[in-house]
Amino acid sequence: MKRLCIKIVGASGTGLLSTGDILTRALASLGFNLVSDREFPSLIKGGHSVYTLNVSEDSIYSLSRQADIIVALDKEGMEVYKDHLKDGGILLHAYERFGGIKDLIEEFQSRNVNVISVPGRKTLQEIGANHLMVNVLLIAMLWKVLDYDYEYVEAAIKEKFSSKPKLLEIDLIVLKKGWDLADKKLDFSKPKKPSARRFINGNRAITLGAIHAGCRAYYAYPMSPSSSILTYMAELASKTGMLVKQAEDEITAAQLTIGSMYMGARAMTATSGGGFDLMTESLSLVGMIEVPFVCVIAQRPGPATGLPTWTGQGDFHLAKYAGHGEYARLVIGVSNAQDAFDLIQHAFNYAELYQIPVIVLTDKQIAESLWTIEDFQEKAIPIERGLVSGEGLVSSDRYKITNNGVSKRWIPGDGPAYYFANGDEHLEDGSLTEDAEPAKAMIAKRIRKKESLLQAIEEPVIYGEEIADISFLGWGSSLNVMLDVIADFAERGVKVNYLHYRYLFPLKKGKLNNFFTKNKSVHLIEGNYTGQFGQDIEACGHEFAGKLLKWNGRAFFIEDVIEYIDQNLNKNL
Amino acid sequence: MNLPLLNNLSIYEERVRSLQTNNVLTWCSGCGNYGILNAVTHAMALENIGVEDAILCFDVGCNGNASHNIQAYTIHGLHGRVLSLAAGIKIADPTKTIIAFGGDGATFSEGVNHFVHSVRNNFPIVFIFHNNENYGLTTGQPSATTPCGAKMNAAPDGVSTQPINPLQFALSLNPSFVARTYSGNAQHMTATIQKGMQHKGFAFIEVLQACPTYNKETPDEWYAAHVKDIVEHPNYDNRDIWDARRIVEDLNDTFYIGVLYQNTDLPDFLSVQLSREGKLRLVDEVEHVSINNFY
Ligand SMILES: Cc1ncc(C[n+]2csc(CCOP(=O)(O)OP(=O)(O)O)c2C)c(N)n1
Ligand code: SF4
Ligand SMILES: [Mg+2]
Repeated sequence: MKRLCIKIVGASGTGLLSTGDILTRALASLGFNLVSDREFPSLIKGGHSVYTLNVSEDSIYSLSRQADIIVALDKEGMEVYKDHLKDGGILLHAYERFGGIKDLIEEFQSRNVNVISVPGRKTLQEIGANHLMVNVLLIAMLWKVLDYDYEYVEAAIKEKFSSKPKLLEIDLIVLKKGWDLADKKLDFSKPKKPSARRFINGNRAITLGAIHAGCRAYYAYPMSPSSSILTYMAELASKTGMLVKQAEDEITAAQLTIGSMYMGARAMTATSGGGFDLMTESLSLVGMIEVPFVCVIAQRPGPATGLPTWTGQGDFHLAKYAGHGEYARLVIGVSNAQDAFDLIQHAFNYAELYQIPVIVLTDKQIAESLWTIEDFQEKAIPIERGLVSGEGLVSSDRYKITNNGVSKRWIPGDGPAYYFANGDEHLEDGSLTEDAEPAKAMIAKRIRKKESLLQAIEEPVIYGEEIADISFLGWGSSLNVMLDVIADFAERGVKVNYLHYRYLFPLKKGKLNNFFTKNKSVHLIEGNYTGQFGQDIEACGHEFAGKLLKWNGRAFFIEDVIEYIDQNLNKNL
Repeated sequence: MNLPLLNNLSIYEERVRSLQTNNVLTWCSGCGNYGILNAVTHAMALENIGVEDAILCFDVGCNGNASHNIQAYTIHGLHGRVLSLAAGIKIADPTKTIIAFGGDGATFSEGVNHFVHSVRNNFPIVFIFHNNENYGLTTGQPSATTPCGAKMNAAPDGVSTQPINPLQFALSLNPSFVARTYSGNAQHMTATIQKGMQHKGFAFIEVLQACPTYNKETPDEWYAAHVKDIVEHPNYDNRDIWDARRIVEDLNDTFYIGVLYQNTDLPDFLSVQLSREGKLRLVDEVEHVSINNFY
């Protein structure tokens, strides 16, 4: 698969984000498939950031660590990210005190890097522009280096600054200037038929999925990387008519959600690990009173505040074990925008059908990465509520002991058959009991839902061929890198396959035996230190040939997996 | 009280009876909670609130053990969290009367943040605050409303910290409804709860609650001797927050009871949600929503 990797580097506050945004728009409008993401420190201003864009004519899901082109918005960016540029790559910069970067430039040149530069301040001064517009100058130069049609980048700039006509006027002058200052240097063919592509990040996709699924209330307390769901929900509320509320803390967000769900609405909350810690008692309440509950955990590395703006898969155990006592739950792992849109809808259905908490795991990379997508298909996933009318029922129907553990749920107030949603152990109508036999039966009933749920959820999916030279197993954002790796190795004639779990707990085992029997070298890929999900696979008696684990806050780059395969493939031969 | 209905005693008694259950009540004898539960059933009957009209939300504490002693849709949640739970319920279905119950431990220790923000948000719910000045269910530890010096379980040398004045605290938050009553006066409790039910906004009702087991200082008889109905106060204007703040300062001699403060101009939470204008129950809206214009 041919991919072009562009990295824009610089301090936060140098216009890095808008540069990335404009280039994303422009490249998507050319019809490329695209993934982009920003790595940035947990500071409002300062610190090094990088905005990475990967484009391809083929499907593409993950990012490359090594860039074909680096656009440096400042000197520090050049220094910090110099090793991210491929030998023979292109460096674009507008730093003019050449004395200060002499050694750096020599180092680049010794690696055959094509260094393209303009004196930024001077050039901008000459045309009466502010020195902060250096990013627009570099965007134009990049576009020329790539030799893509000017009108596309111009349109992207116009769209970006449409609300600021004064600024736009100067930006367009700067753009033209930059365009004139550079020459074509790289041949990366653009799609034959340009057709503008839609792009979206994971949090937006979750937001749209929830809205589509009839979620009518959203409650949350801001915490990276979940916060933008709150922003999106609030911005869209005037159109969706939803009730969107920032709560005073995560416990409140959980309680509001439980209240609204209990009352028959669809409601949701999202947070990150630390906020979810605060919700755990509420989770346990939901387990007891059998009210549906949906919570998204957008993972970032812990413990404690950890790495607030970075990524990881360290909270599977949190989702699986959170809350005291024993009760059924469902843990789902999302991978990318399309997946997020689909799975959040299923999350509501399972939460309601089984009257359980459903925890949806995403991570920083999924939350904030942009992917080009086809328009989401509406009404592809039916709304399944499992609600019944309260007419003709008796109170003890509510928590009736049943074989599959699921009892009838009707909206409180819907009919005369009142019931007690009792956080204390209870009888079938919710009346408190501390007697041994009824308590034993009721606890078992609630846990039995796990078995019936297990029948209903989907088996994991094998990507690549049934039998491969080397195999992987994982969940969540690992899918993105594995999809690209499988395609890449296929071109080299190496078969790689990947067993991907969307439903993480309870664990589907139907394909597991077969996968491990047919594939002799199955490796775990997981974004944490202890291989949390892998432990559940090992508990089934399977042994991994190796584990590719990463816990430094960075997502799996395609090189991580390629290097790992290169090492381990030889080992097996 | 609602006199016309009282004239028809048999209907009224039938309504009250229809709210009572056969489940055993587990409170100590002489506990103020009996009277409070009774007053709530009477207020519901008088306000014509039937089984399909209300959701009763209980915190964890002695007070919360009533959750299965009333024929109503009830929810018995976590300790300290009842107000947020109740708010979520009200938001989903504003047509229901939502009554929340919580103790002094729940309200001023474990869940004090929820109390602060429920007042601020002016969620339209009735909150019956059982103030027995201790943690009854966990056997008599001090709460944030236990007087300084009181010898309690886990405080054998006497409580060393100053208590919170609940009504003063509430009044500092710009509330819309603050009332006080006590568990020894069924009629006054019933009437006060009714007024809370009629209020549009967060109706905070402190019930000075007898706990003969762990609070021997202030039984119902003590309160009876120390309370005074606010309607007997000359020149009192319960729309004046400073009148109210002065009157609730006294926690020793005279406890004024009744609706001490009410601001009917303060909009309740639901009436200021622009996105919800012209809409009512979230419950009726759960269906596929097209996202075509939302990318
Ligand atoms: C998270 C949590 N912490 C502690 C408890 C134990 N607990 C139950 S009731 C209670 C205090 C009750 O005091 P109050 O709220 O005043 O109610 P009362 O029993 O006096 O009516 C405590 C600490 C609990 N149930 N949950
Ligand atoms: S401990 Fe106090 S509050 Fe609790 S039931 Fe006994 S008397 Fe009532
Ligand atoms: Mg108490």
